[in-house]
Amino acid sequence: MIIVVKHVKAGDFAYVSHLDTMDVLHRTLKRAKIDVNYSQGFVKHMLTYATTPIPLGTQSVAEYYAVDCNGISAEEFLERFNENVPQDLRGVTAVAKPKNPNLAGNVVASDFLIKCKNVVPVEIEDIMDENEYVIDLNKKGEIIQKDVRSMLYSIFVDGKNLWIRSATGNTNLRIDSFVKHLIKVYNIDTTMNDITRLAQFVQLEDKLIGVDDYLKL
Amino acid sequence: MLGDEIMMTNELKDILLQVERPARYVGGEFNLPDMQKPCDERVCMCFSDKYEIGMSNIGIRILYHMLNDMDGVVCERCFAPDLDLAKLLKEHKMPLFSIETKKDLKEFDIVGFSVQFELQYTNIAYMFDLANIPYYAKDRGEEFPLIVAGGPCSVNPMPYAGFFDAILIGDGEVNLKQLVELHKELKPQHLTKEEFLKIAIEKVEGLYVPRFNNKAKRAIVKNLDEAYFPTKILVPNCQIVHDRSTIELFRGCANGCRFCQACFYYRPIRERSVDTLVDYAKKIMDSTGYEELSLASLSTSDYSGLKELVERIKIEADKRKVKLAVPSLRLDSFEAEIYEELNGASLTFAPEAGTQRLRNVINKNISEANITSAIEGAMKNNVKNVKLYFMIGLPTETDEDLDGIAHIAKEVLWLHKKSGTSKMLNVTVSTSVFIPKPLTPFQWEKQISLEEMDRRVKHLQEVLRLKNVRYNWHDAKTSYLEAAFARGDARLMPVIIKAYEKGCVFDSWSENFDFDKWMEAFKECGISVDEYTGEIPEDKELPWDVIDNGVTKAYLLKEKHLAYEGVTTPNCMGKCNGCGAAKLGRCF
Repeated sequence: MIIVVKHVKAGDFAYVSHLDTMDVLHRTLKRAKIDVNYSQGFVKHMLTYATTPIPLGTQSVAEYYAVDCNGISAEEFLERFNENVPQDLRGVTAVAKPKNPNLAGNVVASDFLIKCKNVVPVEIEDIMDENEYVIDLNKKGEIIQKDVRSMLYSIFVDGKNLWIRSATGNTNLRIDSFVKHLIKVYNIDTTMNDITRLAQFVQLEDKLIGVDDYLKL
Repeated sequence: MLGDEIMMTNELKDILLQVERPARYVGGEFNLPDMQKPCDERVCMCFSDKYEIGMSNIGIRILYHMLNDMDGVVCERCFAPDLDLAKLLKEHKMPLFSIETKKDLKEFDIVGFSVQFELQYTNIAYMFDLANIPYYAKDRGEEFPLIVAGGPCSVNPMPYAGFFDAILIGDGEVNLKQLVELHKELKPQHLTKEEFLKIAIEKVEGLYVPRFNNKAKRAIVKNLDEAYFPTKILVPNCQIVHDRSTIELFRGCANGCRFCQACFYYRPIRERSVDTLVDYAKKIMDSTGYEELSLASLSTSDYSGLKELVERIKIEADKRKVKLAVPSLRLDSFEAEIYEELNGASLTFAPEAGTQRLRNVINKNISEANITSAIEGAMKNNVKNVKLYFMIGLPTETDEDLDGIAHIAKEVLWLHKKSGTSKMLNVTVSTSVFIPKPLTPFQWEKQISLEEMDRRVKHLQEVLRLKNVRYNWHDAKTSYLEAAFARGDARLMPVIIKAYEKGCVFDSWSENFDFDKWMEAFKECGISVDEYTGEIPEDKELPWDVIDNGVTKAYLLKEKHLAYEGVTTPNCMGKCNGCGAAKLGRCF
């Protein structure tokens, strides 16, 4: 049985790397005395699965962590998980599934909210009218130009708030890189810590469906 | 919204995103004590190295939780920030801050430093500088907190004593608690630091106040079973050096190796009972979720109930899928069956010297036969890596003793071949340079010169050119400085500050160590390092004579003379050798 827990990654944990966060979650499961299944290789490890990491400094209210475990309901899992996890990684919901929904492979997009200290220029929305949109990206210390237009699903501006739905997963637009570009070009006043992932989506046929709904299917 | 609970300014949030591993500075670890409880006394515990080193230190873990469990006391932490953060803090004119509430160090009532190692002394200056605190206690007014130090380097605090208002000698469970309680109690009286310290030297055990240069007798926990030990410890959010839970089996060491400061410093020997340790092990495994539990002590093999303890804890660890680590096993009491229980693939032994003659000189009471039987036991358990640790430059050492190191490595290879196993064996030989340390029988000895260290390393490189044997050696220059500071006096405090001002910081990290800058600092202060590394006459007064650490000078001198006669002193588990430490409390 797989239990998928949706959890936040906030506050202090925005500064904790993805790999370190995985260690923290493993220890949480041990403290919670959840009967997790292990791999059967020479170096045995817990069978757990996470979705695409968010960049260091950014926050999230929609991280998903799937745990291959035995003999526990989703409700009890969530209760024990929350008793043993640092507050900034607290669980929000938990769903039991008969097999691994492979969110890492299926998630294609995320919604991000970027809170700014100044009013965001509405011209940013015009990016969606372009056929191509090239930005500078830092790839292993080297600056490369890349057309990211196809990785943008939507952009919406409302006063000091900016909503972006962008590609996540196998095709991934790093939200921090894109926001850094917006800071440079549109003078928006924000930091990486003001970015919050609000939701993740999978693609079913030609529609994006939120992971919460996908897990109910 | 998210993250409102963290007490970070936007400026600090921005800064943290520009540094490596920001998780080191944000806190929020599981089992964090209540920082909002009503409190009359705020303490900040500082560690003069990085988070991943400090958080691995069992002493820090014990004292941090002990203080937070006291009524009306809150204790926070501060570690030496890495150079990238330090640079940004200076650029933004932000002071060094505590991890938990991001408070300026100057806002605490007491700031305590744990000083672990001589090459961390410039890091004290570094942290003071970042916190905008004057280096010298004598230059600080009443607006600054009471700043104290403790830890193993308090065996001779003279080189760094000028930084501090007071030095705590001995077990912090006793005297740090007494100091904090007293400070809290007297706070309503608004005493000056000097007035407070005059009262404190009467009421706090093992308190050395540099401005009074008073005699101080080391404080000890008499009964470890009744001493404070935390079982709900902080679980760091990023990897640290010793990323595991640890229980301390006993304090002190019965072996009396004549070069070893820890052996004499931590006496008298005090054990925790098996029942207590099993109870701690269960609680700590449950409260941390760590994948590994380590049984710590200076010489785990000497713990009287080791076999029973390992058997009982192993059952609990297996239930929780926790790996058990038993470091510091000694060659002569190595028990293959314990090793078999632990199913390890690597063994670490420390014969320390290559020949029986020299092992007798240093009182490393293990024989060639002990080494052989231990290695044979290890081979039966399919060990793939054997690590052998030695020292060079020990008193009376000759090239024949160096050749003996190669002989032991060859013996290991031969025993492996004889065992008939088809698996390959890797042997790693590591050497460090002998450093004469205070409170050891070799405290009067000279250290060999840098040139001689170099020659002996080259000799070993030649004789250890063997298949499947790798030779590592410790940097001679850091050992040379360590020797100077280990036996140093107050004249070295300006050298520490001068070296820091020249850029010396994190000296124990090889990538940061700059020997030339250190030599410039010594020269500009008109001091030669060799003044501190040479032989000391036996009748000369020593800088640390003012500290009574338990073991008597007469005993150390007797041991030194026995060393030159090649006479060993037996392990004192069976019979007390009269070192003097028992007067502080009890052995067993």
